[in-house]
Amino acid sequence: MSVQLPHRQNSIFVLLHHSLLVRFFLRRPGALIGLLLLFLQFTAILFAAHLTTYSPTEAKPLESLLPPSGAHWLGTDVYGMDIFARIVYATRINLLISISAVIVGFIGGVPLGLFIGYYRGIISTILMRLLDFIQSFPVFVLGMALVSVLGQNIYNVSFVLAILFMPVFARLTRAEVLSLRERPFVSAARCSGASDSSIMFKHILPNAVTSALIQVSISIGMAILLTAGLSFIGAGVRMPTPEWGLMVSVGAQQMILGVWWVSLFPGLAIVLSVLSFALLGDAMRDLYDPTKREHRGMNHG
Amino acid sequence: MEIIEYWRKLPKLVRVVIGRLLVLVPQMLGVTLVTFLLIRLLPGDPALLLLGNMATPESIAALQDRLGLNLPIWSQFFVYLRNLSQGDLGTSIFTSNPVLVDLLERAPATLELITFAIIFATILGVGLAILSVIKPRTVFDWGSRVYALAAGALPDFWVALLLIYFVYYLLRLAPAPFGRIDAFLTAPPFVTGFYTIDSLLSGNFAVFKSSVGRLFLPVLTITIVNAGALMKMTQSIFADILKSDFIHHGRASGLPTKVIVRYALRNSTPPVITLIGFFMGFLIGAAVLVETIFAWGGLGQYAVQAVSNSDYPALQGFVLVASGFVLLVYLVVDILYEIADPRIQV
Repeated sequence: MSVQLPHRQNSIFVLLHHSLLVRFFLRRPGALIGLLLLFLQFTAILFAAHLTTYSPTEAKPLESLLPPSGAHWLGTDVYGMDIFARIVYATRINLLISISAVIVGFIGGVPLGLFIGYYRGIISTILMRLLDFIQSFPVFVLGMALVSVLGQNIYNVSFVLAILFMPVFARLTRAEVLSLRERPFVSAARCSGASDSSIMFKHILPNAVTSALIQVSISIGMAILLTAGLSFIGAGVRMPTPEWGLMVSVGAQQMILGVWWVSLFPGLAIVLSVLSFALLGDAMRDLYDPTKREHRGMNHG
Repeated sequence: MEIIEYWRKLPKLVRVVIGRLLVLVPQMLGVTLVTFLLIRLLPGDPALLLLGNMATPESIAALQDRLGLNLPIWSQFFVYLRNLSQGDLGTSIFTSNPVLVDLLERAPATLELITFAIIFATILGVGLAILSVIKPRTVFDWGSRVYALAAGALPDFWVALLLIYFVYYLLRLAPAPFGRIDAFLTAPPFVTGFYTIDSLLSGNFAVFKSSVGRLFLPVLTITIVNAGALMKMTQSIFADILKSDFIHHGRASGLPTKVIVRYALRNSTPPVITLIGFFMGFLIGAAVLVETIFAWGGLGQYAVQAVSNSDYPALQGFVLVASGFVLLVYLVVDILYEIADPRIQV
């Protein structure tokens, strides 16, 4: 069984083909840690029921606010729910919201950027100004307002995040398309009679999509932070749904009284999750686009 | 032609400011359109939702009339604009005050928090970036890299809670995280709205001490969380400048590294100004969570209350003011940039 690989230079597929990917990850401890954390999260998603015997949503008032112990590894919250169980099950909710939001934003944003970059007219200019404008709003404020207006459930949180991320992908794609559309291979395609849509999707898109792809991983991390923040202030998912930001907010009142475990552990889950996507995003950037690697410090010599 | 001549004779500062103000008008119109549509997104009758549980058939009819809900959507927008121009942002369902009064009352608290946060985040972020450029491949360089990565993954509300636990609960170094001054102190007479400045102006050192103490944790939270990103972006600005032609020329001419670094730092001032302005706009959103945790009584906390009480006029007003504030900050930054960089023409 063979898979048809697209033939492009610097493509991740080619690298995979030559098993360079393995060497790449071995040389970058950051990328390896990111991969490991991602693996942990997928384990939590797939085998949640095997990792813990507690229910993530069942309240047991008699077991309220127990410190970490052999029975409750990470303690219990004010409702007597096991924190470890909730963190494990929350991985599903948090990653579902964030990943689906970024994917929808990507699917909507990239063609939009392609269109705006390829056709240069009054409509494109207006659309571009509109994107600029959406991005000039404070993200969290707009997200908060939209979710509270649309209704607070995970689908709306995801939908709103998708809207907020769409301009990011559109702008990145547009910037690439603007430089690509002047390149000889586009003129060649046009001379040989290719239609606009064929030039856009077959010739320009595969070359333009890289920078948006690199942004995907980093955006997922940002989406996790935004989701958690929205839930924390009560503009996201509601109790008893296990969600990391909501779990931190459940423990917020007790933190002043010295009950540290209720908020500490879910917050740590957020940090590790965001970190994994940030590390993988950095690795993707190095892999896809070595020229954009961070140049740091002075060149001595 | 005379107008163009006259325009050219104006001082650069005036031209820059007028040019930017002209751009601000369509932007502000856009902002009002978005906040207007925000409420129109609501399923159901906006009048019913705006009035909340206290709605009576008469009050609904009166509000429908005032909002012009029976008119076509564009006329409704003009009615909304007319109300705005008269300073009418609606009435908060929760506090039953005019939204504008509520917002003006709370704005100084947020501005004080953001101002101090931006000062410390700039010192830390830009300072670390400069250190990592001056002393590459040292503990600063390496440390700044790890810090930037970690800071980007930290949720601010969680950092705030950890700081409360360690600094307030365990170490007892900070005062209780409730509000801007101790409950038994009265606020200083209003001059700037900043408690730290007003208390000094009125010579009330007890209030000054208290307000500084209360600022400590929220400002520290925002600084820790955001200085990392500020540092990273400042570093990439430096990196771009270090790659530019005049640096290559300087190096080819045999200038010592110290001098080259100094040139690079001086030339990166305008983009760093832009960056700090961008951050100021960003912080008005970021402060929402921190304000809520520290019961700060500012705009952000007001917005969160609005969300949890389904207080839509208040929420609408907050989005309008926050976005307007961001546009204003960008305006000031653009003007500063153009004044700081003589190469840029209007």
